[in-house]
Amino acid sequence: MSPDEKNADAMHTDAINADATSGTAVKPVGILGVGAAAPSLRLAAKDVGAAWGSSAGRGTVAVCDADEDTLTLAWRAANAALDAAGVSPAEVSGLWWGTARPPFAEGPSHAFLATTLGLDRSVGGGLASGSPHAGMEALLAAWDALAAGHARYALVVTSDALVPGLGTAGESTTGAGAAAVVLGAIAEGSAGPSANGSSPPARLVGRATLAMPAVDRYRADGDRVTGDVYDARLFREQVFVPLLTDTGRGVAEGAATPLRAWAIADPDGKLASAVAKRLGAPLASAPVFGALGDTGSAAALLGLVHACADNATNATNTANAANTTDATGSASSGGLIGAIGYGGGRATAVVVDAARAVPGAVTVDMLGTGRQVAYAEALRARGQLEPMADPIEMGLPPGGAAFVRGNPEMLGLFGARCRDCGTISTPPSIHPTCTGCGGDHLEVVPLARRGRVETFVVNQTMPPPFQAPLPLVVIDLEDGARLMVQGSPADAADLAVGDVVTLSLRRYALERGIPVYGYKAFRVAGTGAGSGVPKGTTVGSGQDRSAREGGS
Amino acid sequence: MSWNKVAVVGAGLIKMGELFEQSYEQMAAGAFSAALASVDKGLDKSAVDAVIVATQRGSLWGQEGIGGNTVPSAIGLSGVACTRVENACPSGSDAFRIGAMVVASGVHDVVLVIGVEKMRDKSTQEGLLARAAAGHPLYNRGETAPVLFAPFATRHMHEFGTTPEMLASVAVKNHHNGCLDPYAHFQSEITVEQVLASPMVCSPLRLLDCCPQTDGAAAILLTSAERAHEFTDKPVYVAGFGVATDHPYLHEKSSFVGLPATTLASGRAYDMAGVGPRDLDMAEVHDCFTITEILDIEDLGFVEKGKGGPASLEGETALDGRIPVNPSGGLLAKGHPIGATGIAQLTECWWQLREEAGERQVAIRQGFALQHNVGGRGSGVSVVNILTRNP
Repeated sequence: MSPDEKNADAMHTDAINADATSGTAVKPVGILGVGAAAPSLRLAAKDVGAAWGSSAGRGTVAVCDADEDTLTLAWRAANAALDAAGVSPAEVSGLWWGTARPPFAEGPSHAFLATTLGLDRSVGGGLASGSPHAGMEALLAAWDALAAGHARYALVVTSDALVPGLGTAGESTTGAGAAAVVLGAIAEGSAGPSANGSSPPARLVGRATLAMPAVDRYRADGDRVTGDVYDARLFREQVFVPLLTDTGRGVAEGAATPLRAWAIADPDGKLASAVAKRLGAPLASAPVFGALGDTGSAAALLGLVHACADNATNATNTANAANTTDATGSASSGGLIGAIGYGGGRATAVVVDAARAVPGAVTVDMLGTGRQVAYAEALRARGQLEPMADPIEMGLPPGGAAFVRGNPEMLGLFGARCRDCGTISTPPSIHPTCTGCGGDHLEVVPLARRGRVETFVVNQTMPPPFQAPLPLVVIDLEDGARLMVQGSPADAADLAVGDVVTLSLRRYALERGIPVYGYKAFRVAGTGAGSGVPKGTTVGSGQDRSAREGGS
Repeated sequence: MSWNKVAVVGAGLIKMGELFEQSYEQMAAGAFSAALASVDKGLDKSAVDAVIVATQRGSLWGQEGIGGNTVPSAIGLSGVACTRVENACPSGSDAFRIGAMVVASGVHDVVLVIGVEKMRDKSTQEGLLARAAAGHPLYNRGETAPVLFAPFATRHMHEFGTTPEMLASVAVKNHHNGCLDPYAHFQSEITVEQVLASPMVCSPLRLLDCCPQTDGAAAILLTSAERAHEFTDKPVYVAGFGVATDHPYLHEKSSFVGLPATTLASGRAYDMAGVGPRDLDMAEVHDCFTITEILDIEDLGFVEKGKGGPASLEGETALDGRIPVNPSGGLLAKGHPIGATGIAQLTECWWQLREEAGERQVAIRQGFALQHNVGGRGSGVSVVNILTRNP
């Protein structure tokens, strides 16, 4: 789509019912696809308690590895949602990102995420942060933009990887995760925004927000970690349970039918069920807390994504839907799910009408069980246990010219493709001419995200902040480009020439306080040279790169 | 193109090692003295009318912006013409090549080529390992020196069945040779078993597959063949040289089983000298890692591509082998003070061709010796020099 067409599209005022909160029959905004992501480490909550001499904690919490953070989780969930929705990055008119703790407290968080996702430079939207309520704020803002006709497709990403203060009550419950939804405006009289013209699988049908100005978890300016020095009983009785119950009732009362399940943010694994009990419908999000802990800004949508995919919930849904159809004569109602987010003294509830299976919906079990780590390793990964030695500084300052030039190609992963011989040289900023033929008819292209290991090493000897084992992998990508990037330490023992790997965004460094992002290679299980997948073209027997790429 | 024939009339080096007690300037003075002392008929240092200095990494001793003026001052020749050459690991061999061209041009009569390198004034962590942090995610962050060569070992093993034992045999041979070289950093025998039991540094390379970090200096005196007999009755001549480049980053390599810069550079040197690999009596090649020597002997045409591993294991490159490689102990045992390395290798060639190498002397039959370096991030540059004792 050309910029002109894009503007025309954005200016096109879809006829929609803006009064969505009233729960009237016309539903203006649809959910086209969802995605979710969890980080790679898991910490047993009881290990946290044990470290402080208490028996507190149950279940596991998800912890980011040293190269993961809220942005890398957001990237994964957002890509999954876009894939599920069948919406290309270029079609997205706005990115709304909600995260209590963005990678830059002040800085280019939104621009970085948008670039890594391949969204157009003109993309709108915004960043909500400052409390775990940010996820719901992002969702409502996107909804408003679609309802007002300023956007056709909106990408909403909610993610968090909070760093709890050592010894705080929140330490054994704070987890990490991300959920994303692709929303589309529904034009009156049209079938809907889906690529195939059918009606959307789910719609946003109700919302309510309430405030209660009270301090619970907080991070003061300059604090590196989140504190929670509040009275747990006071919080439960006077803040959380009444506020979320009232907010939930606010949307439930306006709904056409009784809600079949709730997904509710949960600071401690108990409060959400207390709210659900008062609201009179099952708590569908409990397994999410059990597996990942309190996922902050992502909690409500992660619970919703889980509920949409959960067989048990859907079985209930089918029964309810049958009853509803009988009672009202409406065939359109597939059952309503409520989601409530909380943070910073505010709660927001939304109601989703899931008529059909929502593309991309996954249960929390499908996000993987991660790698169980000991308390000390979790602390090290979260940057709370650091060696005394000064880490070696990056040769290039991340605020310097090399990064200003290099950020788009590094975050978006671009190469320079030769129009004459087809060779792709990476990255474009250091290749004014083609590495294959020396010509200068180059065009910048996004690189493939999958390829095969040409060769690799596992580096065992590096100064801090590096950690061994660190694979470095030369990959022949599916588009013929060759790239050398870091691999996953988890693959170090098994990596082999010929393995298929995929590229995933990771945080390469936290350099002078600035996060530096790039792509790393992750082995696709069961794809090694000995597993029946055709072996990669070998070199060294007279074949040069252009010969290899001739087949691409 | 015609050029004046160039002769080596003196060469020397200092004992390599972790020379914490010596400054850069003291090392330079030591190497110059050794070269002067080696001149058979004597050479007054005032006869030197140009100096080419090779120092690759001033940042390792806090002299990032160092020019060519430090060395003349240190060796008592302040005022003399001097230029510093920095061309990655082949800095020393390229300084020699440039010095030879300076003499060949007739502009200068007696040229000192001197390589000096401080590798250990900074801690290992702040020194070579710090390069791991040099790049950003698209410039190979995490890339310490072994990362530049280990991927070739992985691929060489994959394609040709090269084994860890074959790699280890290179280290065993070179450590043996180092025991016979009084200038070598390491002077102890090692076994294949010891290599294979040493800690993994960067798979598949283990500690004893890697050269040490060595301080050192070496110096060579060049003059025209016409004047050589004023200084010695046994001059050694520059028969040919070649330099070649390749793309600098590893992901730009067309292959991981060879270094094209070496092949190109040696082809140019062979052509210039009018010889081929079979005419050589010995070679000093770039063995920063064991795999590098295996790649070198293939790329230089000593053995067929893929056969470097078995050839090393079977002793073809030993002192009494078909083509003795690194009789000095090589970078693995003698050490790799980067700017000095090439000049130290050429000094070994000079001794060998004059049959002054003592216990490690190889048989000189045809009178040709080859010296080679390769380096520069992803082996982006190689220099080859060929010396001969034949007039």
